[in-house]
Amino acid sequence: MSFLDFLPLDLLKGLGVTGRYLLKKKVTIQYPEERREPADRFRGMFGFSEERCIVCHACAKACPIDIIHIQDHFEELEVDGKRKKKKVLDRYDIDVKRCMFCGLCEEACPTEPVAIWLTTKTYETSAYERNEQLYFTKERLQSWEGVMPYPGVKTPRQGQMPGDATGTKKPKTGEQK
Amino acid sequence: MTSPLIAFLVVPLVKIVVILLAVLVIALYMSFFERKILAYMQIRLGPNRVGPGGWLQAIADAFKLLSKEDVVPGRAEKLVFLLAPGLVVVPALVVFSVIPFGPATTLFGLLPQAVPPYLTDINVGILFVLGVSSVGIYGIILGGWSSNNKFSLMGGLRSAAQLISYEVPMGFSVVAVVLMANSLSLVKIVEAQKQAGVWYVVPGFVAFFIYFVCGVAETNRNPFDLPEAESELVAGFHTEYSGMKWAFFFLGEYANMVVVSSIATVLFFGGWLRPFPSVALLSFLDVIPPFLWFAFKVAVFLFIYIWFRGTFPRYRFDQLMALGWKVLLPVSMANVMLVGLGVLLLGGRR
Repeated sequence: MSFLDFLPLDLLKGLGVTGRYLLKKKVTIQYPEERREPADRFRGMFGFSEERCIVCHACAKACPIDIIHIQDHFEELEVDGKRKKKKVLDRYDIDVKRCMFCGLCEEACPTEPVAIWLTTKTYETSAYERNEQLYFTKERLQSWEGVMPYPGVKTPRQGQMPGDATGTKKPKTGEQK
Repeated sequence: MTSPLIAFLVVPLVKIVVILLAVLVIALYMSFFERKILAYMQIRLGPNRVGPGGWLQAIADAFKLLSKEDVVPGRAEKLVFLLAPGLVVVPALVVFSVIPFGPATTLFGLLPQAVPPYLTDINVGILFVLGVSSVGIYGIILGGWSSNNKFSLMGGLRSAAQLISYEVPMGFSVVAVVLMANSLSLVKIVEAQKQAGVWYVVPGFVAFFIYFVCGVAETNRNPFDLPEAESELVAGFHTEYSGMKWAFFFLGEYANMVVVSSIATVLFFGGWLRPFPSVALLSFLDVIPPFLWFAFKVAVFLFIYIWFRGTFPRYRFDQLMALGWKVLLPVSMANVMLVGLGVLLLGGRR
């Protein structure tokens, strides 16, 4: 044990670290006034497109907690001069209060682009009454009535696209199928 | 003085009110600064919502504590439970009566006669401080015992053990200063430093180090906060306290921090004196009033308290005892011998 071991040099080193951090730039984001943009793959509020939905029920089957409720009926429609039976969506409800945002519904969706997606960057979905306000019918899933979209994000009805919530991404060339 | 009524009643009363208010406000705002500084050390911002820059946070906290329910546990020893917080606060506040904040002043000519800004200067000042501030520990022990809660009791007992272990080296470190100043009066100690022309930290660096470590231990602050060790004892001696009773414990803790800082300033950093009080070259520093020098030094010590809390982890109990008895006590005794020898050899110079 040398003489230096008696000196509290390690303590001073520790004090130096905290002293340095005292003057560092603070990392706090003052939430309501400023907010950090979520990543592109951030999973938030649902977006839904009734036009693209082919009523295949794949999302409802993929959902691990069965919170997607779908009902449909067949209609005879004239398409290209032929009479065809087509599925029509009656009900597409998501019980968002129980959703765990696993994104399996989006993975299961066979359409291109997907008809149900979570990459909306919108996370301010708190509510005072969860049974009413956090139960979304197909109309509300598109109009986002009662949802506060992340700044710059359009509602699904206004043309928000999956994986590109703010509509700023450039379309990739050469990768089109 | 014009009449004895003014000299012995009005002036001390005014001083008491001013000192009490100042101490209470400082204690109140220490909680705010502590949160703020700790936050800054953790690269956060800390409280900044209540009032401009969060400056009303301390007042909001005080109102919150006032309006909280005052719970007394059913099996608690009611009278003692009630008395304990007072026993912590009162000694902490009483000590301020002898702390010299500055030399006699006319307040820039406002007063007809120079009045010392401290309440009184008794010739055993430092003994008074050590004695009275040690009484505060009774409040902690009694609070821990009367709560009828094993965690509280453990906290109180730890506090007692800690005080006994650290009071001894603290006393020895103070003895070193008393030897140099040749007086027990706090005012005389400051004046002796003026005559010596050097703060007593320079000859008494070891004593200062020991004093401050013991001071941190006696105020139950990090890294010696075993009596309220959160991870082991819930909240230690004040587990069962809520509302204003709890606030009193904290008032006492912060007031004690100010006491220890003030005494460290007086004993080792020349109280209200400017740096190098005998060097005429630095006399331009006299522009700053002596009281501000005192306040500035105390503020630095209070900052160091919080700095410690932001830096050091808590000592284990056996480490605490080992440090007190095996390191600080022998070192402080050797230091007293050395300082005594120095005073003997240098004689009249100090």
